[in-house]
Amino acid sequence: MGGPAWLTAIFAAASLAVAIYCAGRLVVARRAHRPTELDTDGAHVIMGVAMAGMLVSSLRTLPSAIWEVIFAAAAVWFGWRMLQRRRGAQPSPWRSSHPLPHLVECAAMVFMFLILPASAAAGAATNGMSMTMTATESTFSFLTLPLALYLFGYVVWLGDRVSRSAPALAIATAPASAGPGLGYGSGSPSPESARPYLAPHCAAICKITMGYMLILML
Amino acid sequence: MSESLAVGRAQTRPAGRAGDAVATLDTRRKLQLALGVIWVLDGILQFQPSMFTRSFPDMLAESAHGNPGVVAGPITWSAGLIDHHVVVLNAIFATIQLALGLGIAWRRTLRFALTASIAWSLAVWGLGEGFGGILAGTASLVNGAPGPVILYAILAVLLWPAGRDPCAPSVASRATGHRPAQAVWLVLWGSLAAFALLPASRAPGAISDMLAEGADGAPAWLAWIDTHAASALNHHGLAASIVLAVLLALVAVAVYLPVPALRAAIVLAVVLAAALWLAQGMGELFTGMATDPESGPLLALLALAFWPAVPTPAVPTPAVPTPAMRMPAVPVMEA
Repeated sequence: MGGPAWLTAIFAAASLAVAIYCAGRLVVARRAHRPTELDTDGAHVIMGVAMAGMLVSSLRTLPSAIWEVIFAAAAVWFGWRMLQRRRGAQPSPWRSSHPLPHLVECAAMVFMFLILPASAAAGAATNGMSMTMTATESTFSFLTLPLALYLFGYVVWLGDRVSRSAPALAIATAPASAGPGLGYGSGSPSPESARPYLAPHCAAICKITMGYMLILML
Repeated sequence: MSESLAVGRAQTRPAGRAGDAVATLDTRRKLQLALGVIWVLDGILQFQPSMFTRSFPDMLAESAHGNPGVVAGPITWSAGLIDHHVVVLNAIFATIQLALGLGIAWRRTLRFALTASIAWSLAVWGLGEGFGGILAGTASLVNGAPGPVILYAILAVLLWPAGRDPCAPSVASRATGHRPAQAVWLVLWGSLAAFALLPASRAPGAISDMLAEGADGAPAWLAWIDTHAASALNHHGLAASIVLAVLLALVAVAVYLPVPALRAAIVLAVVLAAALWLAQGMGELFTGMATDPESGPLLALLALAFWPAVPTPAVPTPAVPTPAMRMPAVPVMEA
């Protein structure tokens, strides 16, 4: 994208960190049979990798068209999950219970990859970054700002929720012998027990990075 | 990310622990979070590529033009300083604004973030915006007079998390008291009415020229709105200024009127704020040179803070805690 190289590198590193963290959670969930939202974590793994590739050309992995298909499919999945929730389907600890933000994220990714092709070559040629893109000339330019605002709004809302829930999260990670908690972990210092602290922060990083990319498209 | 899992399960904890006092967001908290969103947006806007170039200090230096020496001097000095260290200083500025937004979102840092946002806003208002051009005589509503950044400071004061007047008729009155909040409203909207009548706005082509400028670099749909508004107001600057000033003056005095009239005035204020925002080219967000969304969204947010609160009947406190009090039914919040 069109930012200074060091700045886009920082955002790309943050995206990859989120992807690695979510991949680690998926591995831990599989090995330890601990519930995690498979669809959400899976989406964030591919999102982190895709965003890193959009920010730094050397981190590109797949062509835009393939990413478009992947994120469109993910958006369809989260949309279907939303419909299921509205119909009163039983929540599962293995699936996202709040699919709307992930639906918006996937839609934003599709949107950005659709805007990308026209300007990718110019960006790569001029500053070594993956793309220099703008949505201003696009028919759907009016979507850029609302998408970014939604992501920022979600980050702020998440910050409020986390800061309100912090004492409970501390209880959640306390040793099980200390008394009835929330059922998180067994008190061992496993990655799973650290999840409640890191998950919202990683989500915030992911959304801020995506919001930054959308703002660059304005 | 399973953040819904992380924050969602926490809602089922028993009452009586820290953080249980507020199960749902009250109006003031919602407005605080909206202010936080705008700060986050500002921070990310400050990370735009053009802000790391000389365009940024040049833009700041422009605000010195027409100002008296005592105002222009510090602006020129700060613009020069930024020019020499633009990458480092701009990164710091952007990070500060991002941190202000996140600090407002984080309950434990709310007061610190609001205090810091007041200090930051006042500094930027003086050094970055030249006090909105008030002293230079160039203040115009379409240009965001009296300077959008001062509205952040006003909002931080009005949304301060203190309950000085718990029975206040609006969110804005809770922290400062009713009469000071009324005075703030009157001065703000009254000054906007006055700015609408300044030469910078009332000259025949003043508003239409600014609207046409706002169309530059904007996407087609926004350029269409601004261009057509500019052509409609061409040579009618004086009439448009007078109409705008009358409407703004009505909004200003409505804070002393009965609740139904105040509600109507607040709706009008939000509509005017939206119209101003469109006239401002939505803060020129699409040009890559915007540092904030201009005054429109902030004026709308400020107006909502004055929306008359619905009086709630007093709930008698039971002598013995009920099971419902020990385990409140907390609604699961949708994202």
